Amino acid sequence: MSQTPVPVVEFRGVEKTFAAGTARAFTALAGLTFAIEDLPGRGEFVAVLGPSGCGKSTMLNLIAGFEGIAPPTAGEVLVRGVPVSGPGRDRGMIFQRYSSFPHLTVLDNVTFGLELNGRELGHSAAERRELARHWLARVGLTPHEQKYPHQLSGGQQQRVAIARSLVLKPRIILMDEPFSALDEPTRLEMQELILELWREVEATVFLVTHSIAEAVYLGDRIWIFTHAPGRIGRELRDGIPSFTGRPPLEAQATREFQSAVESVTGVFQQVNGGAVPS
Amino acid sequence: MSWWKIRWPVARPIALALGLVPILLLLGLWFALTHGAAEERVLSPVILPSPAEVVSSFPSLWWERALSRSVITSFLRVLVGFAVGAAVALPLGIFMASFESIRASFAPLATAFGYLPIPTLVPLTLSLFGTGELQKVMFLAIAFVVYLLPLVVKAIDDVDSVYLRTAFTLGATTGQAVRRVLVAIAWPDIFQALRNGFGVGWGYILLAEMVAAESGLGNIIITSQRRGPREHIYLVLVVITLVAFLTDRLWAFVGSRLFPYREAK
Repeated sequence: MSQTPVPVVEFRGVEKTFAAGTARAFTALAGLTFAIEDLPGRGEFVAVLGPSGCGKSTMLNLIAGFEGIAPPTAGEVLVRGVPVSGPGRDRGMIFQRYSSFPHLTVLDNVTFGLELNGRELGHSAAERRELARHWLARVGLTPHEQKYPHQLSGGQQQRVAIARSLVLKPRIILMDEPFSALDEPTRLEMQELILELWREVEATVFLVTHSIAEAVYLGDRIWIFTHAPGRIGRELRDGIPSFTGRPPLEAQATREFQSAVESVTGVFQQVNGGAVPS
Repeated sequence: MSWWKIRWPVARPIALALGLVPILLLLGLWFALTHGAAEERVLSPVILPSPAEVVSSFPSLWWERALSRSVITSFLRVLVGFAVGAAVALPLGIFMASFESIRASFAPLATAFGYLPIPTLVPLTLSLFGTGELQKVMFLAIAFVVYLLPLVVKAIDDVDSVYLRTAFTLGATTGQAVRRVLVAIAWPDIFQALRNGFGVGWGYILLAEMVAAESGLGNIIITSQRRGPREHIYLVLVVITLVAFLTDRLWAFVGSRLFPYREAK
């Protein structure tokens, strides 16, 4: 207990250049350095805003350790002090595109991760179903557990993705514009759901979004990325109130929410010269 | 009239009636051309027998030519050739689509084979494997591999990478990602390729049997063309269509059972 705690995620001077050495070379990230501490029994919610193509998604993909993106061109990406060498179930990810396995029912989609790790986790089939049903209930999909993904709405598909990810108790959750493809009422529902759930799972969350309101509602801290090559232009922690337990519409109507959105918008324009987040 | 409105739906009974028109016209034309006594016809019976003559030659086809035995022989040849071809094309295609090194190793050869005209395989396999059953099976097996391989590769290539990434964040190993994501998701498309391939194989076997075979439907056709009766050619064509159709319905039925999530689409 005497040592300084190891950060959950740490970037040390990370640079990522795609197609390096060719005419199409594109540097998505440069000099990205940060450390997110593990808040005991809580986890932290980092909302990432930035202009289009600023490397926000690249940052998530580097944490996830996907082939073709990881490792970085320069610098180090550490998860709990260990360089990321590939994807793993300690880092769950929710994508913008619907990713429910089309050949599996909702229930089987959620047990899938437990089955893949069956040997290590040692659950029986009945235990797997029970765990999956618990999370399906939490995301409100119990009546749909025998349906196939194509029978679900977009919001329901994202609920499957959330349940499928949380059932494995990841310590880090990466969300890449998970609600961008949804209509506004559904998006608000999903934001409320996320706020409810993540306090419970106590994971560190990185949420890439293009909605300032979403970042203010969900984030503990907000990062505003610069144009590519991306880095954190500004970090906002103070003045981002917590809205836990309050539905988005109610929160959005408050003075503190509106002033937070205004100040984030102002900082965003300072960092990115008047551009809007996308 | 809504006939010329683009993509305007047609009621089912009308659609059925419309479909019957060309069939009836064709049959009518056949009757007209072959009506009456042999010497009064527009086309002589040697060129085109009348519908009645074709139907009445069925007993001789069944008894003297042993139609049922030929159907079974041809069908078994397709089945065995298909099994051998699929046993090569499925694993090879899955490995090629999953691992770039395997793809790089086999893609040039596969592309070259893709340009091969299938009929040329008949004389080739005849000189390599003789005129027996082995030649029929090998000819079909090669034809199936050439047909199936690119389709299996494409089916797996078409699986969105978001599923792979999702599986990896759920802790999938490479083997699990191939089996439980790539193959599992591509399986309905692979099945569709097998189904289409089986239909195509039914055509290939006739080709092989018409060149060199002691038995089979292709053999009946070529014998009937040389020695008569010509009526048998038409009957065999009907039988082939019928068997191909029924087999395809069986594939479709199995597919709907295996992939309930595809049917609703």
